[in-house]
Amino acid sequence: MMEKMIIGRYVPADSMLHRMDPRSKLILVFLFVCVIFLANNSWTYAILVIYTLVMAGFSKIPARFLIGGLKPVLWLVIFTFFLHLFLTKEGEVILDLGLFKIYEEGLRQGIFISLRFFLLILITSLLTLTTTPIEITDGLERLLGPLKKVKFPVHELALMMSIALRFIPTLMQETDKIMKAQTARGVEYSSGPIKERLKAIVPLLIPLFISSFKRAEELAVAMEARGYRGGEGRTKYRQLSWSKVDTGMLLFLMAVTALLVVFRG
Amino acid sequence: MNIRTIVGNGIVAALYIAVSAVIQPFGFTNVQFRISEMFNHLIVFNRNYFYGIVLGVFLTNLFFSPIVAYDLVFGVAHSVISLLITIAASRYIKNVIGLMVLNTAVFTFNMYIIAFELKLAFNLPFFFTWLTTAAGELVVLAVGIPIMYALNKRVNMGKLI
Repeated sequence: MMEKMIIGRYVPADSMLHRMDPRSKLILVFLFVCVIFLANNSWTYAILVIYTLVMAGFSKIPARFLIGGLKPVLWLVIFTFFLHLFLTKEGEVILDLGLFKIYEEGLRQGIFISLRFFLLILITSLLTLTTTPIEITDGLERLLGPLKKVKFPVHELALMMSIALRFIPTLMQETDKIMKAQTARGVEYSSGPIKERLKAIVPLLIPLFISSFKRAEELAVAMEARGYRGGEGRTKYRQLSWSKVDTGMLLFLMAVTALLVVFRG
Repeated sequence: MNIRTIVGNGIVAALYIAVSAVIQPFGFTNVQFRISEMFNHLIVFNRNYFYGIVLGVFLTNLFFSPIVAYDLVFGVAHSVISLLITIAASRYIKNVIGLMVLNTAVFTFNMYIIAFELKLAFNLPFFFTWLTTAAGELVVLAVGIPIMYALNKRVNMGKLI
C-alpha cells in the first residue's frame, strides 16, 4: 500500500533543474509544446532530440524514471505510428504488400509523430519529476496573478489546490481503510462480476464522503477561528526566487527556436 | 468565496485523486474507466462543486497524464465548458436524474475537445478519436448516475458545501 501512497512523480535530487524556479519551468514546458510544432524535417527533429537529451542530462534523473514514463503510452504511440504508416498515401511506394502499400511520406509521418509523442512526454515528465506539486501550485499562483484584476479567484484556487494536495494521502488511507472494512464484511472490490463491483462502490463512497466532509468542516472552523483571510498583505512561507539559470534556460530555448525556424523545410 | 466553499472544494479535488488512485479502474478490454470521473455529477447537487471538480481534473492530469501540458489545457477546458452548460441547464431542469442524464450527454458530446487535442498533437483521425473517447466517457458517467443518486440519498450532497 505504501508504494501506492506516493502521489506525483517527484524524484528528489540536487540538480540544476531541481533548483530552478517553478515559474520558469512551467513557462518552458508551455513554450516547448508550442515550439515542437515548428519541427517538420529530420534536421529540426534532430535539434529537438538533442535539446531534450541535454535537458534530461541537466536533471540528473536516472534514465529508468524517464523511460518508465513512456511505458503507459507505448501502445498508443505504436497505434499512431501504424495509423500514419498505412493511411498516408503520398510520395513513392517503398513497400508493396498487395492489400496495403507503404508510402515514403507515411513512413516519414509515422516516425515524426511518434518522435513528437516521446519528446513531449519526456519534457513534461522532466517538469513533474523535478518539481514538487506544491512548488507547481506556488508557480501557477504567481503566473496567474495578473488574472486577479479580472476577478479570477487565483488565490482561492491555489489555496484549494494546497488543501487538496495536503489531504490526498489522508483520504487515500481513509479509502483504503473503508475498503478493508467492507472487504472484511464480504464485499469484493477486485474480482467478481462488474455489476456487483460497481454496486459495492456505494457503501464505500457513503462513509468516505461523510468522514471527508467532517474533516473539511473542522478545517474550515479552525481557519475561521484564526481569522484566515487570504490574498492581500499575506506573507509566504515558501518564497520563489528567479535566478540567472532561469533566464539562461529561457534564452537557451529561444536559441533552439531560432534554429528550428532556420532549419525547418 | 467563503472558507467552507474553499475547503470543501479542496477536499472534493483530493477525493477525486484519492479514489482514482486506490480503487482499480474497471475496464472492458483495453478501455479503462476511472471511478472518480463520476464525481462530475456532483455539479447537479450544488453548483459550488464546480471548482473542486475542475481542480480534481487538473490534478489528475498533472499526476497521471503522460502528456501533461496538453491535457491540462484541453482536459480542464472540457470540464469547464461541460460544467457551465449543465449549470445553465439546471435553471430549467429541476429533476436530479434528468440533470445527471443531461450532464452525461454534455460531457460525452464535448469529448470533441479531447479529440481535437489529439488531432492537433498527434494527427489522430478526429471522428474516430471522438467516437472512442466519447464512448468511454458515456459509460463511466452513465454508470455513475445510479451510484451518485444512491450516495445523495444517504448523504445530502447539496448541503455539504
